[in-house]
Amino acid sequence: MASITSKLYSDDVSLLVVLLDTNPFLWSGENTTTNSLSFPKFLTHVFSFLNSILLLNQLNQVVVIATGLNSCDYIYDSSSSPTTVESLENGRMPALCSKLLQNLEEFLARDQELNKDESPPGIASSLLSGSLSLALCYIQKVFRSGPLHPQPRILCLQGSSDGPEQYVAIMNAIFSAQRSMVPIDACVIGAQHSAFLQQASYITGGVYLKPPQLDGLFQYLSTVFSTDLQSRSFLQLPKPVGVDFRASCFCHKKTIDMGYICSVCLSIFCLSLVRLTLVLLQLQTGRGRLQNPSSILD
Amino acid sequence: MPQVKIIAKNFMDMVAALPAMKLDKLYDNTFICEAVLRSLPPLAKKYALQMLYIDVPVPVKSMEEWVLPDGFSKHRVAIDRLIQLRVFIENTDRKRETSYLLHPKFKSNLQKYLVYGGVLPREPMPSNITVRLPTLEELDAYALEQWECFLLQLISSSHAERLTNFSPSMMKVFQRGLLSQREKGPRLTESGFQFLLMDTNAQLWYIIREYISNSEDRGLDPADLISFLLELSFHATGEAYNINTLTEIQRSIIKDLADLGVVKLQQGRKESWFIPTKLATNLSVSLSDSSSRKQGLVVVETNFRMYAYSSSKLHCEILRLFSRVEYQLPNLIVGAITKESLYNAFENGITAEQIISFLQQNAHPRVAEKIPSVPENVTDQIRLWETDLNRVEMIPSHLYDEFPSKGVFEAACEFARENGGLLWEDPKKMRIVVKGEIHMQMREFLRHQKQ
Repeated sequence: MASITSKLYSDDVSLLVVLLDTNPFLWSGENTTTNSLSFPKFLTHVFSFLNSILLLNQLNQVVVIATGLNSCDYIYDSSSSPTTVESLENGRMPALCSKLLQNLEEFLARDQELNKDESPPGIASSLLSGSLSLALCYIQKVFRSGPLHPQPRILCLQGSSDGPEQYVAIMNAIFSAQRSMVPIDACVIGAQHSAFLQQASYITGGVYLKPPQLDGLFQYLSTVFSTDLQSRSFLQLPKPVGVDFRASCFCHKKTIDMGYICSVCLSIFCLSLVRLTLVLLQLQTGRGRLQNPSSILD
Repeated sequence: MPQVKIIAKNFMDMVAALPAMKLDKLYDNTFICEAVLRSLPPLAKKYALQMLYIDVPVPVKSMEEWVLPDGFSKHRVAIDRLIQLRVFIENTDRKRETSYLLHPKFKSNLQKYLVYGGVLPREPMPSNITVRLPTLEELDAYALEQWECFLLQLISSSHAERLTNFSPSMMKVFQRGLLSQREKGPRLTESGFQFLLMDTNAQLWYIIREYISNSEDRGLDPADLISFLLELSFHATGEAYNINTLTEIQRSIIKDLADLGVVKLQQGRKESWFIPTKLATNLSVSLSDSSSRKQGLVVVETNFRMYAYSSSKLHCEILRLFSRVEYQLPNLIVGAITKESLYNAFENGITAEQIISFLQQNAHPRVAEKIPSVPENVTDQIRLWETDLNRVEMIPSHLYDEFPSKGVFEAACEFARENGGLLWEDPKKMRIVVKGEIHMQMREFLRHQKQ
C-alpha cells in the first residue's frame, strides 16, 4: 500500500475530484435504501460539502465528474470560473450550484440518448472506470502544471453495484492512482458494499465508508472526507472490516472465488481453456515454441 | 476562564488577544468568520467544520477519540487555538466534565455560507463609469512599487527615491523594534534583519499589526480596522469599488493602505473608487503559517555564485545583507556568497537557517523543481561557517585547588554534582572546576567541612 506521506506537502491546499453517480436506475426509486434519499436531497448534501471544501482554503479546487450509464463527463471545475459578476444574476443561488445543475442536465440528456439502443434488466452499473480515468487524467495535468500544485484526491460517491465487466479497467485505474500517490476515497450510498471501491481505497490508502444513515450524509462527508492528506496521518479514520478481493474472470466477466491463472500473462479464467488467446498470440510471433497448449495452464 | 496573556507574535494572535466582548462582536461579520476559519491549522479547520451542525456540546473525551496517539500534540495545538479565538466555547457541567460547543454566531454565519455560497461584501462599480481601469499586470507593478518604496523608506530614508505619505511619527512606530539609533545613524537590529528576510505577506501583516496597535492611541477602534482588513481580502482583484460604500473610519485608513500598495485609489469625474491589489486578496491566504507561493528569483550555484533576476533596489539591499554583490545589470543581480559576507551577516544577528530558508523559498522556478533547490555544499558550508563562530563556548567558573584530604575532595565533588555545577574534576591532583553560579554555596559547604 503506497504511503501518502512520502510526498511531503507543506500546506493543506487540496484538489478534490468528486465522482457523482448519476445512474437513473439507481435513483428512480426501485432500490429501498435510496428511497430515504432522493436525488435532489443528495445534491443538496453534495453542494454543501463542495462549498465547505472551497471555504477551508482560498486555493482549494473542486472538480465534479458525473458517472452516467454509458458515458462520463466533467460537470464543474471551480478553478475555471471567475466568481464575481455571475453570482448576481441568479438571485440567491450561487454560481456553483447553477452552473453545476445546468451542466448536469445537459449531461443526463446526452447520456440518455446513448441508452436508447439497449435496456438492461435490473440496476445496471454505472461507468466507474471511465470517470476514474477522467479524474486521473485531470490530476496528471495538475501535476505537470508546476512545482506548486494542490494535493489531489478522488472521492467516489457511488450507489450502483459493481459491473464485473469493468474489473480490468478499474484495477488499472487503481494501480495508476497508487503509482501517482492519489488516494481514492469511497462513500457508498447504495444498498450493498462495493468490492471494487473497497479494493481501491485499500490499495491507494483512502477511506471507504458506507454511511448507515443517509439523512446525515453531509455530516459523514464533512467529518471523514473533508480532511486534507496531511492531517489524515493523525486521525482515526474508518477502516474497512474486511476487504473483498474477489476478481472477475476475463472470459465471462463473472465474479469468481477460485479460478485458473496463466503463469505468463496472469490473466484469470474460470474454465480450463484449451486455447489460450493472449499467450498464444505472443508465442506465435516467435518468442518460443508451443508444445502443448494445455500445459501452459497451471 | 481566565485568558492567558498572549504575546502577539502575528496577526491572528492579536485577534485572539482581543477581549471576549469585542471578539464576539467581530463574529457578527461573515467574512471575519471565514477569514478566521481559514487561518486555523488544518486539524482545527476540520474540527470546526464537523461541529457546524452539532447542537449538543461534545465531550472532550469523544473529541480525543478521533485522534491517533502520535497526533495528540497536534490535537492539543488545534484545540488551544480554537479556544483562544473563542470559536470553541468550553462549558463545564455539574459532573465536572468539560465539553465543547461552537460559537453560535460563528456557527450560523458559516451555515449560511455553506448553503448560499460566498456573497461579496460590496458590488463592483459598472464599467461605464470606471474608465482607465489598470490591467492586472499594471496593478501588480503598482503594488510592488508602492510596497518597495515603503520598505526602503522604512530601512533608511536616504535610499528611498520618494517618500510615502506616512508621517514621520508613523514611520517611527513602524521602525520601533526594527531599527536602533546609533551614533552614525539608525542601524537595523537583529529583528530588523529577520524582518527583511521574511516573505512579503508576513512583512505586510507585521506592519498592519503595528498600525493597528498604534491606532488605539489615535482613537480608532482596532476591531473595526481588523474587520475591514479581513473583509478586504474577499474582494476581487482588479475590480473597482466605490469609496462611498466605506464608513468614515474606513475612509481614513484607505489612504494609508494605498501607500502600502494594498489598494489603488483612482478618481473619476464625480466619484472616486479603490481597486484592491493582489496584496489585499492574498491577505487571508497568509494568515496561517504556510509557505509563500510567489515566484522566486534566486539561482544559487555550486561554486557559491548567486544570480537574482530582479531589478529592484530592495532585493539588492536584502542580498547585500549576506552576500557580496558584484554586478548589477538591468535585469540581473550577480553576487557571491563569501566567508566575509556571511561573517558580517552573523554578526548582525542573522542565523544560517534564515539565510538558507530565504534562498530556498525564493528559488527561481528553474531550480525550484530540483531537489535540493539550493546545492547541498552551499547550505552545509553556510552552516559550518556559522558554527565556526561558536567554536569556543565560555562558561564562567571557578577552580578549586589544594584540598586538605581526599575525603574533602570527594565531598566537594558530590556537592557540586548534586547541584548540577560540576564541570571538571581531576582526582589525581585533587582539582575541581565548578560553575560560577554555585561558587558561594561551595564556599559555605567547604567552610562547614573544615569544622
